[in-house]
Amino acid sequence: MSRRSLRQLHRIAQWEVSRGVGVIDRKTAAVGVILLLLTGGVVGGVVMSGAGGVAIDRDIYRVGVDTENPYYPVVAQSSQLSAHPPDHEALARGDQDVIIEAFDDQFISWQTTGTEKGDAAHAALLSEIDRYNERQMASEPNQTAAYPVLVDIQYLTRFVDTPEALAAAQADDTSTSDRDLEGDTDSGSDRDTGAETNGEQPDSGAETSGGTDTASGPPPAIGTGVFGGEQSGSPATIQPPFPFSSLLLAFVFLIPLNFVIQAYGSTILNERINRRGELLLVAPVSRRTIIAGKTLPYFTAGMGVCGIIAVAVGGGLQSIAGVLPIVLAFLSATFVGGMLARSFKELTFVTVTISVFITTYVFVPAIFTNVTPIALISPLTIVVMDLQGQSATMGELLFSTVPFVVGSVVLFALGAGIYREEDMFTQKSIPDKFLDALNAQLSGYRSVALWTALFVPFVFVAELLAIAVLFVAPIELSIPILLITIAAIEEIAKSIHIYAGYQRARFDRALPVALGLGIASGAAFFVAEKFTAIAQVVGLPELALGQAAFAPVGLTPTLTIGLLLAPLALHVVTAMITAIGARDRRLVYGSALFIATLVHALYNYVVVTFYA
Amino acid sequence: MIRVDELQKSYGDFAAVVGSSFSVDAGEIFGIVGPNGAGKTTTLKMISGLIEPSGGSATVAGFDASDPEMRQSLGFLPEESPLYEDMTPRSYLRFFADLYDVPREEAIARTEATLDRLELEYRDRRLGDMSKGMKRKVAIARSLVNDPAVLIYDEPASGLDPLTTNTVLAFTRELKAAGKTVIFSAHNLYHVESICDRLIIMNEGQIIANGSISDLRDEYGTREYQIWATHCPTDLDPAETIDSGDSSSYLYIADTLEDADLLREKITRAGGDILDFRTEESTLESIFLELTGKPMAGSRTIGGSK
Repeated sequence: MSRRSLRQLHRIAQWEVSRGVGVIDRKTAAVGVILLLLTGGVVGGVVMSGAGGVAIDRDIYRVGVDTENPYYPVVAQSSQLSAHPPDHEALARGDQDVIIEAFDDQFISWQTTGTEKGDAAHAALLSEIDRYNERQMASEPNQTAAYPVLVDIQYLTRFVDTPEALAAAQADDTSTSDRDLEGDTDSGSDRDTGAETNGEQPDSGAETSGGTDTASGPPPAIGTGVFGGEQSGSPATIQPPFPFSSLLLAFVFLIPLNFVIQAYGSTILNERINRRGELLLVAPVSRRTIIAGKTLPYFTAGMGVCGIIAVAVGGGLQSIAGVLPIVLAFLSATFVGGMLARSFKELTFVTVTISVFITTYVFVPAIFTNVTPIALISPLTIVVMDLQGQSATMGELLFSTVPFVVGSVVLFALGAGIYREEDMFTQKSIPDKFLDALNAQLSGYRSVALWTALFVPFVFVAELLAIAVLFVAPIELSIPILLITIAAIEEIAKSIHIYAGYQRARFDRALPVALGLGIASGAAFFVAEKFTAIAQVVGLPELALGQAAFAPVGLTPTLTIGLLLAPLALHVVTAMITAIGARDRRLVYGSALFIATLVHALYNYVVVTFYA
Repeated sequence: MIRVDELQKSYGDFAAVVGSSFSVDAGEIFGIVGPNGAGKTTTLKMISGLIEPSGGSATVAGFDASDPEMRQSLGFLPEESPLYEDMTPRSYLRFFADLYDVPREEAIARTEATLDRLELEYRDRRLGDMSKGMKRKVAIARSLVNDPAVLIYDEPASGLDPLTTNTVLAFTRELKAAGKTVIFSAHNLYHVESICDRLIIMNEGQIIANGSISDLRDEYGTREYQIWATHCPTDLDPAETIDSGDSSSYLYIADTLEDADLLREKITRAGGDILDFRTEESTLESIFLELTGKPMAGSRTIGGSK
């Protein structure tokens, strides 16, 4: 980019900022800031006080208890219970729910009103007593005395009973490929060396928690603290490794992005309303510079806010690295949405769809951060790991972020293709404009091959999403559905731009041309798909579902070569089928797509059956 | 200054512009007229590099229309020029001056001078709060921020009140006087007739006439000389007679000035008086109607010259 272009980019970005600031008057801005601060304060309060920190049931039960009574501190420290001097008349009137009385410090009397509220108050009191006891034990200087029995907990990966998985399990029943458990199986040695620090009382020399907690975080008793809470307790308090607090904090990164994309989408659509952007197009500024200049302030705002959040919640560069592709994905999808929408009403629908889809896509897998590597399909998992104190390997980072970054670049390129006079001011439906956007990128066989390859990150994301969605389904059901879904996704990716080219009269409808386009697309897809081998960096193909989606491993060289060339033939043949159908109207293309998907799914089935 | 060769634009099976060729000399005001959908705006946008031609070429000030460098020499005023309404005229013009790499001092001096000439007083008011005429003046000023050699004005006076229209037309003449080359498209044929040196008429994507107004009249129009007299020589047949009781008026028509002089002589010699002598020429509108068979949107009838 030349110095002049940079200067222009800066000027457009500066203008975009001043416009963004200018459209909101000072009073509105002040109200907005106050609302934001209040919201932030509430969210921060919830987070910093633990999930249960805001007690809407504060002091709902009145307990009659003397200050000398040993149960007084239990009541006094409870948010639900309020302590009052015991008064039997008040109990009879219902003004007190429970009375606790001590006689000679030996005998404790409990009395409730006998009503439903009295029973509930009694139950609440019992729970508070348990919690009080836990706190007392946790604060005991001599932890060995407090917890004379230690239990190490190891959360193991759920093995799918494929031959390989079973063989691997038999070969080394103590090892695990689950990255979450790395370092978790060495609790014994940790205890010996005293290296374990979770909840450890240095002077006691006793270990209060298993090594499991080192990598996957402490047993996540909900509401016990921002980063995991207590490391010890009675067996009843031990819960599965659900990273609630980290997830909650990771979700905070997504909230401001929803506001940023609203403003960004509006500014893009604003250029298209009444041909407002025409004058920028006729100025000596390239499309790329205009788009970059208009996007830069929103990217900076998104990253800036996420950076502040990262600092506030204790995240580091890893969190920023995880958030960056999410910001890019939000902006790029919104940019395309802004270029396709015909009105602000339609844009609202588009941005809400984008917001829901991306939030779901990044948030749901992150829930399984401590359970399965599939969680790494979401860059938010990298953030969750960071907030849990886990470092992501370079492979994990690339696996999580590269598809998002490449996908975002492709989306920006698609939108930029129609950022021109001929396309940006037309009032076409979103599917029609989408075809325009694809068509704008095409020129010949090479461009078809290039765009097929560029679709592979989306194929990757869609397939991983399908895997994640089908993860919980029985394998007998999930594998066939997955085979068909993956076949359909790949056939669409190989043919949709060819269809767009034909619909916009870009290509000659002669059969040899269609076959040539199919060959170019199929071969390009094959080559690009092999780059998905990056998935193996994190061992995803070790899952049976992953094997269905990607190249199987562990075969003889001959079979490997055969299985290498077979998909090439498959992709080329099915792409030719769809390219022939794409020459005609939508129904014919749909039929060709259906046939190609069936052929592809059948091939997948044969390969999986053979391999199994 | 501008050369257009076999310019074509197709959208699928629809041909918006079919093989247009013309050239515009430096310092000329060149008009483009035609009915709606004739391909005028598409042609202008291809010349300005906004639309990629399907065929042919256009060069402006020696640069191909697709060359980004060409835009430094061009000032384009589209038919609709919605502005960024949250900006003021000053901030708007300086923003564009920056994009054109115009030094700040020079930009300020130039835009202020243009706004002075266009009599735009409110320069720090939000554009959204301004009238259509004021906004049009700002748009015209924007087309000049880079001091371009070539200006393309698509319907510059469309929808403006007569006062503002006159200001715009006068300003366009001043631009010509300052040596600028202007392509001027308008539906109002009177405007075109009054300021353009040459013009083309487009219809259904094609140029159907090209030349000066006079050339077009000669080629496609008519001119006649009308004489109203009080006396009817016996050897002449009047084209029309108006009998008002005690007196009559007779209309005689000659195709050439020489014939008209002969007629006048005959009438005078026969004792008649010449009541009126006028030249009736085809207007641009009548030529336009003759050629296209369609009335011009927003056109008006032009009276004959006396």
